[in-house]
Amino acid sequence: MRFQQITENKKEYLDLLLLTDPQEDMIDRYLDTGDMFALYEGKELCTLAVITLLKNRECEIRNLVTTYGHGGKGYTRAMIHFLSEYYRSKCDVIYVGTWNYGESLRVYKRCGFEYSHTLPDYYVNNYREPIFLDGQQMRDMVYLKKPLDVEVDLKKVVNLALNAGRILLKSGAEIFRVDETIQRICQRYHVEDVDTFVLSHGIFISAAKGGEEALSKIKHVPLSSTNLEVVAEVNDLSRRISAGMINLEEAAEELERIEHIPPKKDWQLILASGVGSGAFGFFLGASAAESVCAFFIGCILYVWVLFAGKHKLSKIIINIVGGILITSMAVLSYILIPVAMKIDGMIIASILPLVPGVAFVNSIRDISGGDYLSGTVRMIDALLVFVYIATGVGLALSVFSNWIGGLGV
Amino acid sequence: MIRWIIANVVCSYLGTIAFAVMFHVPRRFYTSCGIIGTLGWLVYCVAEKSVSPAAASFFGSLVVVLISRILTVRMKCPVTMFMIPGIFPLIPGASVYYMAYDLVMSDTAHAGQSGFLALKIAFGIVLGIVTAVSIPREVFGGDYWRNKKQKG
Repeated sequence: MRFQQITENKKEYLDLLLLTDPQEDMIDRYLDTGDMFALYEGKELCTLAVITLLKNRECEIRNLVTTYGHGGKGYTRAMIHFLSEYYRSKCDVIYVGTWNYGESLRVYKRCGFEYSHTLPDYYVNNYREPIFLDGQQMRDMVYLKKPLDVEVDLKKVVNLALNAGRILLKSGAEIFRVDETIQRICQRYHVEDVDTFVLSHGIFISAAKGGEEALSKIKHVPLSSTNLEVVAEVNDLSRRISAGMINLEEAAEELERIEHIPPKKDWQLILASGVGSGAFGFFLGASAAESVCAFFIGCILYVWVLFAGKHKLSKIIINIVGGILITSMAVLSYILIPVAMKIDGMIIASILPLVPGVAFVNSIRDISGGDYLSGTVRMIDALLVFVYIATGVGLALSVFSNWIGGLGV
Repeated sequence: MIRWIIANVVCSYLGTIAFAVMFHVPRRFYTSCGIIGTLGWLVYCVAEKSVSPAAASFFGSLVVVLISRILTVRMKCPVTMFMIPGIFPLIPGASVYYMAYDLVMSDTAHAGQSGFLALKIAFGIVLGIVTAVSIPREVFGGDYWRNKKQKG
């Protein structure tokens, strides 16, 4: 679902507008001055709305039409929701005039509109042709109104933004994405005066509203495992928030759900690590037998990584022991399996699951985006992990080469 | 030759997807991740025949990030989703291993060479990413080209 404001060639949409307002000169009265919004699903136009600003921070929906075949799918409600969010900062009350009959009245009431006043015989006096709906002549126009709550709960907004930022950062997002998401959420919910400072391990945010109320928060975000699915979901949520399709409470609930998305099952990760090692080994030049060994080594390696992660062992230990484990198993299979194999192919393939790809790529993205501080921290993280792996592999190699003499490398 | 191509395509495809699984990439992106990894690797292989490994990594990562960015706009998701698994085939694991091996064998000259090669390849990847990332976002959207056509 995508909203777009239409500023040019509004007349092109006349056919649609005539569905709900059957007289062209009546439409002309508001078409030029009004704002027109369209809701697209994919490339298809689903709902069209025209809204005009009145005096005293009030506005009126002049036309709201959902195209044929798209009724009953919630597009009308989505549009009303969008308009309410969009005009919240400019207006206090939103009005809509409609005939006193049928589905449209019910939809508006369901969206929080309530009765305001009636213009008796409006349709009879202003339209040349009588309007009939289901055989009944429409006479009176009822006005419905809905107050647009401009109360901004600074604390709630900042908490939501900070929470979204925290989840992004710990799941492996880049600094600028965290920053952008926090800003977007704050702007959308009308906290305009906001400053953020995001580091690889923490978020600093301070926001103010109208010069009287101010709020600062600092959040420490410890290192955690990468979960790109969570990044994608939060990104999607932030898009929907800026499109005005979702209110503060719904957004908070949605964020709660995203944070508790279950990670992939252990056996899936272990298998993936094995397949990754095996497949990479094969195209990096290992023989078929070596790749099969790499598959098993990769699986066993990840059992260790998961075990160490559950017991919160330090990165140094995980990677050095990982390196030792890989090398030992490669040497073992070299000795035990009576097929001509070289150990280097197996080792090179099986260290890949330990390689800090996310830290490496993110550090480059951060540095190229100007976030030198976080970029440097992540780059050092990535480099050190390489050093740990090399240390582990080297340690085990030196022990084995002393034991059994020359290895067939 | 054909066997070599098939083996490389299948393995880099599978391997990239395996790493996508490890980073919890949502399931709907698996195919794209696999294709990006494969293309990056093939470009690397072709380029490596005529230029140094570092330059080949540059071209490989350039292709990976460019395709990632195009898909990002299409699928409306963070670019990291495709980039991180796609880069994996290019990572210089072999050089790091040989560096460790040569160090153990007290062959410091070769160790230095391998270590330096790893750094050069890593720098090639970095340059590739930076180049592709610095292209403005709008270029990758369909609207940009459509509007350009209308103006022209």
